[in-house]
Amino acid sequence: MASREVVVAELPQHSKPAVGSLSDLARRLVDPFRTVSPPEPRPATGFFTDTTVCIGCKACEVACKEWNLLPADGLHWTGNSYDNTDELSATSWRHVKFIEQLAERPSAAPVAGATSAFSLERLLQEPKDGRWLMMSDVCKHCAAAPCQQACPTGAIIHTEFESVFIQPDICNGCSSCVSACPFGVVTRSSLDGHSHKCTLCYDRQRDGLVPACAKACPTQSIQFGPIDELRERARARVRELHGRGVAEAYLYGDVPTASYSELNSFYLLVDRPAVYGLPDGPVNPWLSMKGDYLRTIGSGLATIAALLAAIWLGGI
Amino acid sequence: MRIGAPALATPLRGGYAERTITHAPAWGWLVAWDLLFNGITTGLFLVAAVCELAALDVFARAARAAYPVALVFLLIDLASLVFDLGDPLRFHHMLRVVKLGSPMSVGTWCLTLYSLPLTVAAAISVLPGEWPSLEAVRRVAIIVGLPFALGSAVYKGVLLSTSAQPGWKDARWLGGYLTSSAITLGCAGMLSLSAVMGEERAVAAFRFALGILVMVNLIPLGRLAADVRSALVRIYSPRELVGLTAVCLVGGTLLPLFFLLAGKAPGVLVAAALCIALAGLAIRFAIVRLPHASPWRTERQLRGNQGSVPRRQKTWST
Repeated sequence: MASREVVVAELPQHSKPAVGSLSDLARRLVDPFRTVSPPEPRPATGFFTDTTVCIGCKACEVACKEWNLLPADGLHWTGNSYDNTDELSATSWRHVKFIEQLAERPSAAPVAGATSAFSLERLLQEPKDGRWLMMSDVCKHCAAAPCQQACPTGAIIHTEFESVFIQPDICNGCSSCVSACPFGVVTRSSLDGHSHKCTLCYDRQRDGLVPACAKACPTQSIQFGPIDELRERARARVRELHGRGVAEAYLYGDVPTASYSELNSFYLLVDRPAVYGLPDGPVNPWLSMKGDYLRTIGSGLATIAALLAAIWLGGI
Repeated sequence: MRIGAPALATPLRGGYAERTITHAPAWGWLVAWDLLFNGITTGLFLVAAVCELAALDVFARAARAAYPVALVFLLIDLASLVFDLGDPLRFHHMLRVVKLGSPMSVGTWCLTLYSLPLTVAAAISVLPGEWPSLEAVRRVAIIVGLPFALGSAVYKGVLLSTSAQPGWKDARWLGGYLTSSAITLGCAGMLSLSAVMGEERAVAAFRFALGILVMVNLIPLGRLAADVRSALVRIYSPRELVGLTAVCLVGGTLLPLFFLLAGKAPGVLVAAALCIALAGLAIRFAIVRLPHASPWRTERQLRGNQGSVPRRQKTWST
């Protein structure tokens, strides 16, 4: 890294950017309107998150924060298992969720043969009537993303890898994307006023690297790659789990539904989506937009007609 | 997307099922005022323009006074829109693209295109003396401004209902109510101006029309209330709901009707208009609050208020 910085610094500078408050103002006004030709499309990539092998180590969260230079959120005890990240936010683009599904039972019931308060025998004889689910949540990079549809500035785009990316120099913090996202991913930062979320490590992808979270995941719970390949792999994994008796395993977001597109970041789950903090049946808000426009324009015209009718009836 | 895994043998607890999944946008009280100012400016322009074009001699004077007032409310509305952005200095980024699929983009362009003919109409209206040569320009500006004023009134409700937020996402009649309310507010504004200016024929026409519109406005409001009933019941106590209903029916309907029937004095008619505006503001506050008051957030806010669970402090320093 250091040597590359030296090389860049030694490059001949052909032009010096204008400095001063007027040129700053001109740049602020003009630069957002400059356009460049989009890069050539590349094979779509995404994440397949297999929640059955997540161990909740939070390496993905740490790697994401480190690579993207995201600030710490401070230590915040949520009281919810080991989850102190709480939710996806402008400064937490990965969120490991912990779901303790342990049945209530009377504590300290004596076990035959056990002599001390803690023993291996006692542990082995305890009924296994619960489980601990973990899932690393992230932006879903929807194929038809409501946040991208909502964005009035064109800041949110689909990249050449078909991931959803917020251009930080364009976003003006209008929050339309926050309102539109059914997964609660996009968040406006209170620090810079702009919306932020996972970029699917666009910068790393352009350099042929794997996103930081997938690279750091020690159990391959987070898998990255071409999306078609991931879907095949995910279906094979579900078949394998079914064969091993995990009948409840299924994929969430691998194929489109009547109300929502497929997700380029999809999941293997073993319980209802809502248990993981995912909508059971996500709906793209844009499905109702045309009807809303028609109803609204109709109401406006009907009210104007009522106004004119009242004025004429009033004798004008 | 397969939904609903096989039920587990033992009912298990834990998880995130009780939480609101979506993040509420940082749209607060400023947006409620923005909704009101948007309604006043677009409504005033629409009513003034339509009435002036329909019966020039009766409404011309009041309409001439209405355009500058509509421009003032538009400027206040635009200022509130800019200051509600996370980065107000980037407000011009809104004009980078035209996206018909984005209600906010449609609204931005409609407001921009509405502001131009409104400014022309307002400027010509305030010129001292008679300017017959500019009268045609004024009329063209009014006609050109009509579709954009309607677009500016229409987009607000669609913007909120085209979202994933609790309450808003089910509010199919939100746009219908806000647009109808805007025209009612415009009629109330025209009535006030006519009364203050002593335009008796215009006052008579708008008194009757406002009475009708106040009742017509109850139709989309009722449909909207039915749409968001579950969200209202979830976030407001029965007492608050009774209060909100009283504001709608008494403050926004019965009281204005009483004032309209009570007499022609300017003060009474302005009071009727103020009642309609205040009730409209209260309803808009209730609408804006819908996604912000989910059970999960309310619980967290309560814990935060008690000081037991302080809200996280975010800093850039690690």
